[in-house]
Amino acid sequence: MSFDMIVDWLQATLRWSAPLIIVSTGEVLSERSGIINMGIEGIMLSGALCGVAISFLTGSVLASVLVTIVLGIIMGAAVAFLTVSRRTNQVVTGLMLNLLALGGTNLLFGLLSESRQTRVTTFPVLFPEAWHNIPVVGPVLFQQPVSTLIALILPICLSIVLYKTNWGLNVRAIGDNPQSAATAGISVKKIKYQTVILSGIFAALGGCALTLGEVGYFASGGMTAGRGFIVLAAIVVGGWDPIRTALACLVFGAADAAQLRLQTMESIIPYQFFQMLPYVITIIALTIMVKRSIVPKTWGAPYDPRDV
Amino acid sequence: MRVQKKPKFIRVPFIGELALSGVRPIIGILLGIIAGGVLIALSGINPFKAYGAMLQGAFGSLQSFSNVLVRSSPLLLGGVGVALGIKAGVWNTGIEGYMYLGAIGAAVVGIPALNLPPVLHIALALIVGMLFAAAWGLIPGFLRAYRGVNEVTTTIMLNYVAIFLTSWLVSEPQPLAEIDSFYPMSKLFQESAQLPILMKGTSLHPGAFIGLAVCILFYFILRYTPFGFQTRMLGINPNAARYSGVNTKQKIMLIIMIGAMMGGLAGAIEVTGLKRRVYMDFVTGVGYESVAVALVAGGNPLAVIAAALFFSALKAGGATMSIQTGVGAPMTSVIIALCVLFVIGVGISERRRLSKAVDKDEPDKVGAAGSKEDPNVI
Repeated sequence: MSFDMIVDWLQATLRWSAPLIIVSTGEVLSERSGIINMGIEGIMLSGALCGVAISFLTGSVLASVLVTIVLGIIMGAAVAFLTVSRRTNQVVTGLMLNLLALGGTNLLFGLLSESRQTRVTTFPVLFPEAWHNIPVVGPVLFQQPVSTLIALILPICLSIVLYKTNWGLNVRAIGDNPQSAATAGISVKKIKYQTVILSGIFAALGGCALTLGEVGYFASGGMTAGRGFIVLAAIVVGGWDPIRTALACLVFGAADAAQLRLQTMESIIPYQFFQMLPYVITIIALTIMVKRSIVPKTWGAPYDPRDV
Repeated sequence: MRVQKKPKFIRVPFIGELALSGVRPIIGILLGIIAGGVLIALSGINPFKAYGAMLQGAFGSLQSFSNVLVRSSPLLLGGVGVALGIKAGVWNTGIEGYMYLGAIGAAVVGIPALNLPPVLHIALALIVGMLFAAAWGLIPGFLRAYRGVNEVTTTIMLNYVAIFLTSWLVSEPQPLAEIDSFYPMSKLFQESAQLPILMKGTSLHPGAFIGLAVCILFYFILRYTPFGFQTRMLGINPNAARYSGVNTKQKIMLIIMIGAMMGGLAGAIEVTGLKRRVYMDFVTGVGYESVAVALVAGGNPLAVIAAALFFSALKAGGATMSIQTGVGAPMTSVIIALCVLFVIGVGISERRRLSKAVDKDEPDKVGAAGSKEDPNVI
């Protein structure tokens, strides 16, 4: 491998990890409060289409982001209503939301068929052109779209929120022991709603970053290709800690970026085996890390205020 | 609380009993259909016309009904595979991957000329398909049972691996692949390895009837065998199962593998009965839909039959609806998902009644109360 290829791969790693990291930010919060939002795959997919569609219709990336946030709020609230208020099984709720999103995006994308030909407006690159030629750092950091840079800052913000603020303490308390938290006067339901809605917003934005960060188009038939589930795995691997989860996302993003590069190379190994790489690495990482992680104590369990 | 009497003879549930246990799913499904109708109306199409077209497309003629049966075959088998997992408290969401592996297994013995009589050749193709899928199911099964890795993530990751594996096997340099094809696909199955067509002019193959038989078989296995009893015990209270001497880990692995075998059978039937080749992406959405079927059925294999037939009628009718009224074909999966979401959303009142009854006997429930799953599994 030449030096240029490594730089190129590093750049792609950050670019492909960015959506994963953005999605993981919200999901860490909701899992810390005890709710597994399995629907992030579907919300991500919807966000991906929403971003492209609004950018196509209005030409404005800002409008895309705003509408995507609204979409994330709606879908997050739906998950919150079902899992928190109705206390449905979180796995089932998420899987069915994914099915809903898969059908829904295929349906809506069929209506938007003209957008297939055009590449819509994508996220801008913030840094000036002159910086792009700085060796290594230029292409890896300064050529990135704004979404990648936000993804690099988000985990740090989240760990401050989670570990240094009152609200973050409440979230962690609710995930570990909702009964005590309720006794201490925290509204368990309210905070669970907040975290799940936030996970919806970030999942939708992550989907938006996937399409508007680089490619600028949407492909029907589930273009997120299991990335939501990769994020769920990254959170387990990262032990529900924002920074370590982001690092796990980087590893999976690196596998994705490597896979895309290796596919085009002439080699004896068929390209399909490279395509499997991110998924296989996810399974291996989960297997190795699963016993070492400290799980939020009521992870995935419904909270019933009548349980004492 | 209902007092369970020891059955003196094998009790087959009556229609009335089935109907009563079906009240909750039926309310949910009705709400789902109404919500789907609202969506259709929003897209500017008369929902009554659309649903009329759907009904006609599913039950309008013998031919359309045979289409429903063809579509029900993978849902019946996949659904019962997931349902068995639900009864044991595991989420076997890898039906899609199992179907690919089943198809590969069937292709490995079904494409070369083995000079076997048709019955044997078909049986061999189906059995090898099931074995391939069972081997695939061994991975998530082992990881879940002995390593505590959550099966939802692993099975869904493995679905993608299976897709790429199939894509590789049916692409050109491989021996199974069709030469000079415009789309990656395998060679045609041998005549002797193809399932017969039961009705002229349709594509009705015996898959749906195999599926029905398997569902009924699993109903009796779950209800009247020690294996079935242990499976249900595992789902309701894993600790009780462990203390009563069940090897829970082995059991969980076995159940995921049996589910995988059912998925593999579904895939093998799909390629030997309907497609006659293995195409690159031949399973589309059936994986999630099988989960939907099993959920609406509440894990009961007999209810799987009703749910699978209902959803396949929806899918077959949806195709007609799409042609006649212009509602997009993916609307059917939207309606299916809405139905399930309403079914689980409506279900809470029943659980509340149950938990009230439990609360009286067992005042201290701490932590992961009401959670069926083992909290140690990630």
